[in-house]
Formats: sequence, C-alpha cells, structure tokens
Amino acid sequence: MEGMLLTTQKALHLLVTGDPELWSIVMLSFSVSLKAIILTTPPAMLVAYSLVNGNFPGIRIILTVFNSLLSVPTVVIGLFLYVMLTRQGPFGDLKLLFSQTAMVIGQILLCFPILVALGYATINAADRRVRETAITLGAPWWFTILTVLYEVRFGLLAAVLTGFGRIISEVGISMMVGGNILGYTRNITTAIALETSKGEFAQGIALGIVLLVLAFVLTTFLTYVQGKQDMST
Amino acid sequence: MSEPLLVFRGIEKTFAETNILRNVDISLYPGKCILLSGNNGSGKTTLLKIIAGLETPSRAEIELSGKSHSWKSTIRSIRREIIYLHQQPYLLSGTVESNVSYGLRFTHLNRKQLRESVKEALEWAGLADVAKHQAKTLSGGVQQRVAFTRAWILKPKVLLLDEPMANMDIESREQACDLLKRMKSEGMSIVITSHDTNIIDGLIDIHFSLSDGKLD
Repeated sequence: MEGMLLTTQKALHLLVTGDPELWSIVMLSFSVSLKAIILTTPPAMLVAYSLVNGNFPGIRIILTVFNSLLSVPTVVIGLFLYVMLTRQGPFGDLKLLFSQTAMVIGQILLCFPILVALGYATINAADRRVRETAITLGAPWWFTILTVLYEVRFGLLAAVLTGFGRIISEVGISMMVGGNILGYTRNITTAIALETSKGEFAQGIALGIVLLVLAFVLTTFLTYVQGKQDMST
Repeated sequence: MSEPLLVFRGIEKTFAETNILRNVDISLYPGKCILLSGNNGSGKTTLLKIIAGLETPSRAEIELSGKSHSWKSTIRSIRREIIYLHQQPYLLSGTVESNVSYGLRFTHLNRKQLRESVKEALEWAGLADVAKHQAKTLSGGVQQRVAFTRAWILKPKVLLLDEPMANMDIESREQACDLLKRMKSEGMSIVITSHDTNIIDGLIDIHFSLSDGKLD
C-alpha cells in the first residue's frame, strides 16, 4: 500500500514538474491522433453523406462492412499494416514501418469506420427538409452537403470526439507499426505498456492520469455537445 | 389565358407497385395561382416535388417553347426557376437575415447588392424588426413568412407551396395570403396544395383535384 502511494506521489511529481520525457510522449500522442482525426473526418463524412443520400446498389452491404469494421481489434489492424509496410510487403519500399506516419495511417484505418458509422447515423437522422431546402434554393451539390453537415454539426462533433477518444487510447496499432521508439514513436499507451513491463509504474501511472483526464474532458464535452444537439432539434 | 410558362405532361409515379400519380398533365401560367386539393396521401406533395425536381418521376415530360423534353434532361436547367416550400418550412440555423440571404449566395450579386436585396426583402415582408433574431425561435406564422421571403428574394418563376396555411392562426394566414397575392401580382406562378379548399379566398385562379393519382 505504501509502495503504491509512493508511486502515485512520484507520478504526480512527474506531471506537475513538467517532466520533459513524459510530456514529449503526451505531445507525440496528441500530434499523431490529431493528424489522423483531421485527415479522416472530411472523407468519412463524405462517405457517410453518400450512403445516406446516394442512390447506388450495394449501400446496405457497404454499411454492413463499415459496421463490422467497428469491432476489429486494433492488433489485427496493426498486423495488417505491418504486413503491408514490412520490407518484404507491397509498400515496403516506402520505408514507413516504425514511423509516426505508419501510426497515423493505422489510426486512420481504425477511426474511418467509426466516423462513417456514427456520421451515417447522425446524417440519416437529419431532417430531410434541410437537403431539399438547400437544393430548391439553388445551392450547388457541394454547398448542399455543407448545409446538411452544418445543421447536424453537434452530432458530427460527437462522432469526431468519439473517434478521437478511440484512437488516442489504442495500443495495438501504435505498438506494432510504431515500434515504441522513445522520442519518435512512443506514445501514451505504448509507454504505459513498456513501463509496466519494466516494473516502473510511476511514469505509467502519470500517463494513465493524462488519459483519464482526457477521457473525462471528452465525456464532459460530449455530454455538452449532445445537449446542444437536443436543443437544436 | 396567356401562354403557359411550363407544361408537365404524363407525370407518373409508381412506388412499391402502387400508382401514386397516373398520367398527370399540369400547365403553369405566369401570374396565376393553382389550388391542388385532395385527401391526405392523394399524391399532392409528390406532384409538387416532381415539378420542383426534388423527386424523380417514373415517367414525365416537360414542354418548353412548344418542344417536349424528358423530365430528366430538362429539370436541372429549370430547377433554379422553381422553388418548393414544405408544409412546415425548414429554417436553417442562424438569423432571419442569414436565412433570407441563403439562396442569394449562389447568384452573381456582390456583397453590397446582397445586403441591399436582403434589406429590401425584409421590409417587403415586414420582417425588418426580427432580422437579427434566431430564425428557429420565431413563431410558426413568422417562420412561414421568412420562408416566403427567402423564396421571393430569388424571384423564381414558379412557387410551389405545400399546405402553406396549415397550423396557422387567422392573423398569420391573412399575412401569408397578402404576401402570396403580392407575389402573384409580380407575375409569379403559384401552386398551392390543400385539402381544405375554402382557406385561400381571392388568390386561386385554377382549381384541380387530385384523387386516385389523377388530376380532375
């Protein structure tokens, strides 16, 4: 018990004193996950919009595929990407394995189906009159899409926050295609795994606190956003 | 009667093996108002949406300058001249002013002209006082006037109104009727659907009834 208290004390000390190694890991995590979510959101929303408003065969099948992808374990995505990026793999020449780019690609693969599925649910629930109003008032197709997305912005923001929460807390992809290299690809989750395996709990607990605070902030913000959405509808 | 502005011929709409519209012909005249009556589910809204290009017919032709064209090949080019208003119009997030100016963004007006047009339209509809109000917070009657103004500002040749007076109190109904009469006097062709034929005095020129997917 005393040892646990001491470790927690050390963890808090690391956080409060701004330990450079710890905070560089936190910054790297945010940098990778923010890049992934920013790159994923626009195409995922376009796909979600097309699935709601499109008139092409196979929409149900595509939706089923995206929904199935929601439950794919991150290590499977990591393994798939590893095979693709390894020197003998089809994209080996790009030399992306054990890089931040590989982590970003992996996180994109993880959150794309999440954003499509949640985006689809949100846009599908949008009032049909929005699209018709935009069209009848002469909006070009791209502005019609923007208008619909804007009208359901709170729901979409909730989807993006959910996706961000998922990718910043994943460990499988980052470990397999990032390689957990200190100062280069070590992020919060891989650092926690490593430090714990070494029996060094202080940094792991400190990073765990960061993730818990992030989860609390995201949940609070999500609740606020969902409240806004309820009000707007 | 003057030359028709647009003629839609042979409109047919089948959905799940049910004929919603059967070989419907309808001509729209400038400065004339058509009342389309019929029971709920008689196909009034579907007909308006097909004319507006918001719903695809199973078959339809459009006659322009005496020549007949398929609905599919023509509707895109004439859609800008036709505005459809829902029974309960959808006002977008933002102020009354931003709603009224929405369609003008897609015209060639510069910012100054756009502002002046919006100001003129708001005064025309008696909405200047609520210009900065959030549109969605207004009463149903005022929201309907905002929707009329948002359509009027674009000067469409055809205005399609789906049950515009439903759920309106007498005062709002009179105000809406007054705006519609002014639009008609400016040469706009108006089509109104209603299952209550007595509501719009002095506005209707032609009355059609839709039953079993046919126009009488």
